[in-house]
Amino acid sequence: MGSGALLAAPALGQGLVDLALPGGPSSRPTTSSFPEKGEMILQRARPPLLETPMEVFDQGVFTPNDRFFVRWHWADIPTSIDVQRYRIAVRGHVNRSLAISLAELLRMPRVELAAVNQCSGNSRGLFQPRVAGAQWRHGAMGNAKWVGVRLRHVLDLAGVKPGAIAVRFGALDQPVVPTGPDFTKSISLDHARDGEVMIAFEMNGEQMPLLNGFPVRLIVPGWYSTYWVKMLNDIEVLDRPDDGYWMAKAYKIPDTPHANVAPGTKDFPSVPINRMVPRSWITGWADGQTFSYAPELPVGGIAMGGDAGVAKVEISGDLGRTWHEASLGPDEGRYSFRRFDMTLRVPHAGSYTLLSRCTNTNGVTQPMTPNWNPGGFMRGCVEAARVRLT
Amino acid sequence: MKRSFLDPSPGTLAFGGLVFTSLVLVAIGPPSARKPWAIENASSPASAPSQVAGPDITLVSVSVDLPDDTVPFPDGPHAAVINANCTSCHSATMALSQPRLSRDQWKAIVEKMRATYKAPVRASAVPEILDYLNAMSGKLPVNGSPTAASADRSGGTG
Repeated sequence: MGSGALLAAPALGQGLVDLALPGGPSSRPTTSSFPEKGEMILQRARPPLLETPMEVFDQGVFTPNDRFFVRWHWADIPTSIDVQRYRIAVRGHVNRSLAISLAELLRMPRVELAAVNQCSGNSRGLFQPRVAGAQWRHGAMGNAKWVGVRLRHVLDLAGVKPGAIAVRFGALDQPVVPTGPDFTKSISLDHARDGEVMIAFEMNGEQMPLLNGFPVRLIVPGWYSTYWVKMLNDIEVLDRPDDGYWMAKAYKIPDTPHANVAPGTKDFPSVPINRMVPRSWITGWADGQTFSYAPELPVGGIAMGGDAGVAKVEISGDLGRTWHEASLGPDEGRYSFRRFDMTLRVPHAGSYTLLSRCTNTNGVTQPMTPNWNPGGFMRGCVEAARVRLT
Repeated sequence: MKRSFLDPSPGTLAFGGLVFTSLVLVAIGPPSARKPWAIENASSPASAPSQVAGPDITLVSVSVDLPDDTVPFPDGPHAAVINANCTSCHSATMALSQPRLSRDQWKAIVEKMRATYKAPVRASAVPEILDYLNAMSGKLPVNGSPTAASADRSGGTG
């Protein structure tokens, strides 16, 4: 933005940020104290929940590794990884159990794709009525170029037996309480074999930070982050549905359009959370920021198509009565963030509310109305970016 | 692309009234002593970390220290009880950053911690923990208050 910008809220990077969550508490410290991480919003130190400041998304469609959000369920996270001794077990309903070394993995055929990794509960702190859980604003997401080996290739090496229906993924992190439910997730065998799901060892051209899953994590393009198992070391082919806690009980959404139910509803048919939905954010200013008036206002940001590409992004300056199509930046792939930009002619000083709305290549458009469910999952509505020009 | 379609938004923007009711400050302290992991680096501390090389990439062994926060639950009813029972699994901030919740909602969360996550919390400590959480939540404004318990068909997390 131009010179003369005034911040109405404490600037990011000064040790405290206000996430403007309705009803609060809203203030969070910022910290650069986590290994391989720059300045992040500290949601919780142990186990770490680190949110990416919104300004990072204005700097490019790829989220730098040292600003990429972090989310762990259990605090027993390995702090040392020996790449020479690391093994990935492939077992269960297969002809040959395997223990794949990283040297072997790096010699296998590779695939590369850009994909957004977004927490199921991203933006939960904006749900109204509020719901319990990690109180993220929008920064529990990131986009990276991932390089790895197709899961299908590894499954073929092991030889999946007839009758297999799903693949379950386990990791090195462990429950702090030994009898607690170890974090595992599963996807269907067909999904596992789609040629896009990969075991990634490279993130934005480098090995990934330990807190993002070093040395390898599962990439499930178009699906929420809960399936992107970090520090992946166990691949189990199942011939029965996964009845484990993390699939059968946690991360369940209402089986309704937009995973939406009336606030307060507790009992509804539910399914495991799955495909992401289109979203977009104006990133050129913090919500509510004040600038000196100028006749032209650049309005830009990032969009994602969810489980499909970004077809178009529209901007509204009249609370959704009329929409105007923005220019799209380079297409980095259907699962990537995509930049959008537009220059608005502003008639006079005042307070303005700008909306952005993404439509994906499946024809799905962000709704104006927020969804609600008791887990605080899958927010996808049009978001407002307010700005005051004085 | 030029557009001129802006109407001033109705009313005054709310950013003048930022709410700082419950300022959660967490100091990052020195790395805590951590349980050694089963897969230890075989090389001595003085030697270079081990590597695995493949085409166009070399993976290098990593050893890090994770910071822990040093701030306990602040003063309140039975603060010693909640500090003794709830911070072995997670930072106090997990509870301190929650929106206003009713005592029943907190009870559902505490019971989930005990039953599902096997938190070693004695049943006799639960009422005192709830006293603390209820008092803490009571300081938050009613606006934005949730209406649903977390013990529901979603199972939570994320």
